[in-house]
Amino acid sequence: MQTTFTPAQLADPHVAESEAILRKCVHCGFCTATCPTYVTLGNELDSPRGRIYLIKDMLENGRPADEEVVTHIDRCLSCLACMTTCPSGVNYMHLVDHARVHIEQTYRRPLKDRLVRAVLAAVLPYPSRFRLALKAARLGRPLAGFMKRVPFLKTFGVMLDLAPSQIASASAAAVPGIRAAEIEKRGRVAILTGCAQPVLKPGINEATIRLLTRLGVEVVVPQGEGCCGALVHHMGREEQALVAARRNVDVWIRAADEGGLDAIIITASGCGTTIKDYGHMLRLDPAYADKAARVSALARDITEYLATLDLPRQEARNITVAYHSACSMQHGQKITLAPKVLLKNAGFTVRDPAEGHLCCGSAGTYNILQPEISATLKARKVRNIEATKADIIATGNIGCITQIATGTAMPILHTVELLDWAYGGEKPALPQK
Amino acid sequence: MKMDFEPASETDAADIVRHAAETGTPLAIAGGGTRSGLGNRVQAEQFLSTRKLTGIVSYNPAEMTMSAKAGTPMAEIEAVLAENRQMLAFEPMDHRGVMGTRGEPTIGGVFAANVSGPRRITAGAARDHLLGIRFVNGVGETIKSGGRVMKNVTGLDLVKLLCGSHGTLGLLTEVTFKVLPLPPSAMTIVVFGLDDAQAAAAMAHALALPVEVSGAAHLPDSVRYRFIGSSQPEGAATVLRLEGLAASVAVRAEKLKATFASVAPIAILDHKATETLWRDIRDIKPYADGTQKPLWRVSVAPSAGQQLVAALRLEAGVDAFYDWQGGLIWLRMEADAEADLLRRYIKGLGGGHATLLRAADAVRAVTPAFEPEQPAVAALSARLKEKFDPKGVFNPGKMG
Amino acid sequence: MPETIAFLEPKQSVLARRDAIIEDLADLLPEGCLISEKRGLVPFETDAFIAYRQVPLAVALPETTAQVAAVLKYCSRYGIPVVPRGAGTSLSGGAIPQSDAVVIGLSKMSRILDIDFANRTATVQAGVTNLNISEAVSADGFFYAPDPSSQLACTIGGNIGMNSGGAHCLKYGVTTNNLLGVKMVLFDGTIVDLGGKALDAPAYDLLGLVCGSEGQLGIVTEATVRLIAKPEGTRPVLFGFMSSEEAGSCVAEVIGSGIIPVAIEFMDKPAIGICEAFAQAGYPMDVEALLIVEVEGSEAEMEAMLASIIDIARRHGVSTIRESQSATEAALIWKGRKSAFGATGRIADYICMDGTVPLSQLSYVLKKTGEIIDGYGLRVANVFHAGDGNMHPLILYNINDPEDAARAEAAGNDILRLCVDAGGCLTGEHGVGIEKRDLMLHQFTQVDLNQQMAARAAFDPQWIMNPSKVFPLEGRPAA
Repeated sequence: MQTTFTPAQLADPHVAESEAILRKCVHCGFCTATCPTYVTLGNELDSPRGRIYLIKDMLENGRPADEEVVTHIDRCLSCLACMTTCPSGVNYMHLVDHARVHIEQTYRRPLKDRLVRAVLAAVLPYPSRFRLALKAARLGRPLAGFMKRVPFLKTFGVMLDLAPSQIASASAAAVPGIRAAEIEKRGRVAILTGCAQPVLKPGINEATIRLLTRLGVEVVVPQGEGCCGALVHHMGREEQALVAARRNVDVWIRAADEGGLDAIIITASGCGTTIKDYGHMLRLDPAYADKAARVSALARDITEYLATLDLPRQEARNITVAYHSACSMQHGQKITLAPKVLLKNAGFTVRDPAEGHLCCGSAGTYNILQPEISATLKARKVRNIEATKADIIATGNIGCITQIATGTAMPILHTVELLDWAYGGEKPALPQK
Repeated sequence: MKMDFEPASETDAADIVRHAAETGTPLAIAGGGTRSGLGNRVQAEQFLSTRKLTGIVSYNPAEMTMSAKAGTPMAEIEAVLAENRQMLAFEPMDHRGVMGTRGEPTIGGVFAANVSGPRRITAGAARDHLLGIRFVNGVGETIKSGGRVMKNVTGLDLVKLLCGSHGTLGLLTEVTFKVLPLPPSAMTIVVFGLDDAQAAAAMAHALALPVEVSGAAHLPDSVRYRFIGSSQPEGAATVLRLEGLAASVAVRAEKLKATFASVAPIAILDHKATETLWRDIRDIKPYADGTQKPLWRVSVAPSAGQQLVAALRLEAGVDAFYDWQGGLIWLRMEADAEADLLRRYIKGLGGGHATLLRAADAVRAVTPAFEPEQPAVAALSARLKEKFDPKGVFNPGKMG
Repeated sequence: MPETIAFLEPKQSVLARRDAIIEDLADLLPEGCLISEKRGLVPFETDAFIAYRQVPLAVALPETTAQVAAVLKYCSRYGIPVVPRGAGTSLSGGAIPQSDAVVIGLSKMSRILDIDFANRTATVQAGVTNLNISEAVSADGFFYAPDPSSQLACTIGGNIGMNSGGAHCLKYGVTTNNLLGVKMVLFDGTIVDLGGKALDAPAYDLLGLVCGSEGQLGIVTEATVRLIAKPEGTRPVLFGFMSSEEAGSCVAEVIGSGIIPVAIEFMDKPAIGICEAFAQAGYPMDVEALLIVEVEGSEAEMEAMLASIIDIARRHGVSTIRESQSATEAALIWKGRKSAFGATGRIADYICMDGTVPLSQLSYVLKKTGEIIDGYGLRVANVFHAGDGNMHPLILYNINDPEDAARAEAAGNDILRLCVDAGGCLTGEHGVGIEKRDLMLHQFTQVDLNQQMAARAAFDPQWIMNPSKVFPLEGRPAA
């Protein structure tokens, strides 16, 4: 596609990168077809091609973001289905990242939006604050209905709705230290504890550590690690995201230097996509560029790592699993087969819901910030999943688990919970139907 | 038929038309005249035929295309194609039997009337095979549209518009069309004794199977013996045609047999018998009866065909058989044409159209041959006619 | 250097009333269905023919046929040009707006209305994508046959506008052969129904005229299309050759022998590299030309047909033969082929030609195309539907370099003239659009075009429907 940046503009490495991305787009329009918001809203401005054009126009003219552009960029789920579809290899992820930073730097959101975003950025990445907030939310839930009717409070009402009714206390799996392999050691990995997931479903990392150590893998829970930065990154709060990234890079490099690491295991694919992008996010930071690239190269989704362990085939069990591939899994990390092969080898019957490429509407904080579109996508996702008539839903991302669980009575588990069970662990507790 | 004009070249044809336009002389135009009875009575005193515009202009079997002057006899074209083991895949019917006409059908006439046979359900109609045309418009200008390649979307598709316009928009002088290899093998599965409704369901089922049925017709008891002799099981015959490589036809025939063997008695017709049967279906053999009994060609959604006939039977004397999976009905009325009744029922069953193919002059004089169009569509058609033939030279009145 | 393609002069009377027009349109459409701010209009300035652009006056995204009719009625009353848009995937600029035009986008009309298996038809709104139709009926054993490479995204409305083809048209025909009926809005807001579930229509074949009319006769809002039973099996087979000529003559002999596969696709070496980079389909990288030949039917039928084709290919010096071993592999082979144009974006900007030539001219035209491209110092990748002679040379260039762009356009024009001179046509399936408009007189005489324009005027006497397209600006009837 033609671009008209001036040499002066291109001197900014961010602009230069965006220009290179734009030059690859040939405007073929394939991306529109698999974009959840275009499919839902039918407006090209709410499609990747439309957004690319809006971004191009904004950046070329060196213009601050305005309401029109912000509206359509905000509606983007960052599901990256477009990147799977795009034959030209347009890196929409980095382009929209750049746009979000530009928006954050040049656009003043209305007060309510600023408040909501500030609250989310200040609470979600910090497990202790998040746990406290959820407890408060439980008390506040009776107010949700009222709040959703008041425009200014609507978003907060939505948040109350999403809060689970039971909140687990801090998990032992999150305590720093080394979990030794139970049999002859065949590998050593670090695990990302993360931020929201251990609060909402501590069982996921517990199952991961159990399974890995049982399989002979030593698991390190490093001291000082925290949120990967994805949540604030998607809000365009680049500095805050880079602070999180640098902190984690330091922690993991230390762990790698101390005892060697085969992989950094991530059990939330949303985080995985971002950590695998650390190398890019910190590419302009001379002190961190190399280390970050090393971390990105070590990052593995749990299913990606398990696939290398050659797990024995288990006897078939009479359980059908609808596998929901999180967008960050299939589009962000291009992991499509490994989770399903693992589940099949573990004895489960696996079904693919129709329209598997479409997002469930969770998308980080999207279900809070864009509740209407999110709800439409959730209903569509649930319809497709329920049509499989499976017994259980399996997926690899905490956001999807939270989102889909609020839309269906079908039980939903993390893939690794099912695998832990199949390879000698306890049967996971299924939410009651 | 006496002809006033029989141009032997496109230039001559254009001169005649230009003169007619200038003098305001309407022309009845025809090829061999074997289908001239189609449509409404033409209000013209002078006759023009393309039958001297003859000759195959080009034929390249490897490219599967042929160009011929409009008046080239079908017999000549079919003979040349047969030598090269090719065919007109849309199986144009020969109207002579049913309309009681004589003479030589021409390739121009086939396309002017968009004449299509049983293979319509898979291979398409004449209009789907016509690639390019040359024609003289109503003011005597020579126009070309389309070309000689298989895929062509350059400009408005006047080819389709002229095809089936019964010589009312232009005088076709040359046509270029697709030709296809003759199937090396063919076979017909006959299912006996189904009533019309069962047959409709059976044909729909057969066409939903991956066996590529290339003809699906239902011949009720009243007509069946005109097609298939009494040595076979009794009752109506539902016939399904398979064509292709011998090995493949055999495999597909087994599948169809397995599907229907448990339902009704079945028989297989070999290649030769298949060719005869489908030619007879194509040419409406039972109604080539030398009478003037009103004969309708009705086109509806396949599932509606038998419902329509069943409803009509309660109110009028009709005889009918079905082609195109039930969607094409050849309907012979025993007495009155019953146009209003028929057209009302068609509307009630989801739409379609009825064309009066044959009737006594008195009946034709008061019965519109073509289905009346939605007013807005009729207005479009009238404007088109005006754009191609502003002086009303060509076949006035023929299409209403 | 050629002149760049001109748009019609914008009507000052329309531009002057811009604000009033937008206010009036807003009254005719639900909230969220009208785009009128400059920011939001810019992304609609072009389609997949990115060399040309014009920002429209407004974009209407109606949700119903009645709303389409209301907008058209309004526009005709004030003589406002209208440009219909489906998914905006046109390679000929069919959906490029003009500055005084209201774009009517059908993207919100994307519902499947009726699927009738007994009659094997589907009735859908115009904004439904081509692939959506096949997906909706696939589980029941059916598909919709025309399959343009952009079938993932392009809409059935756009397919009708361009009479789109695709790889599998060799056996099943193009859009016009698979279309039974449309609901359509005329320039003045009149709604008409043409055709229906019956296989043919009475009187003039208006449906045949509308199909491929590039949005100049009206706006189709619903379509009824034929469904076809899926074959028992399909198998694409890759045939690699050490020269394009060998591949070309192999195609001609296959067709000439009376075998008609479902598809015969051609790729030259640059195209193979481009497609493999995206799809990783396992195309042989050590050959100069590749044919994808697809056969279908029962196992016996596929075997028999393949045996004959392989025989012919051997006679033409085939160097690699690879049969797909699984459905996944077959899907990848097609994914690569169908993404060829977009995947070209990985290495360069491109314009895609669409001339069709008689099969006997295929090798000659390929060779001459190479010479033309060399003459302009450009690069080309060839990927096309060989079975029906529909060529798609992709001329690679740098759109940021005006001289390169002009050379590419000139080379494209030379190639299209070559196709016509070889007995073919300017466009086999992409449409004339704005891209090939000024070449129309190379294929037609002014008298031929006058007749086409007269037919057009029967539908749109005001010439407000997509008026910058198809017909050269000179020689049009006085408005």
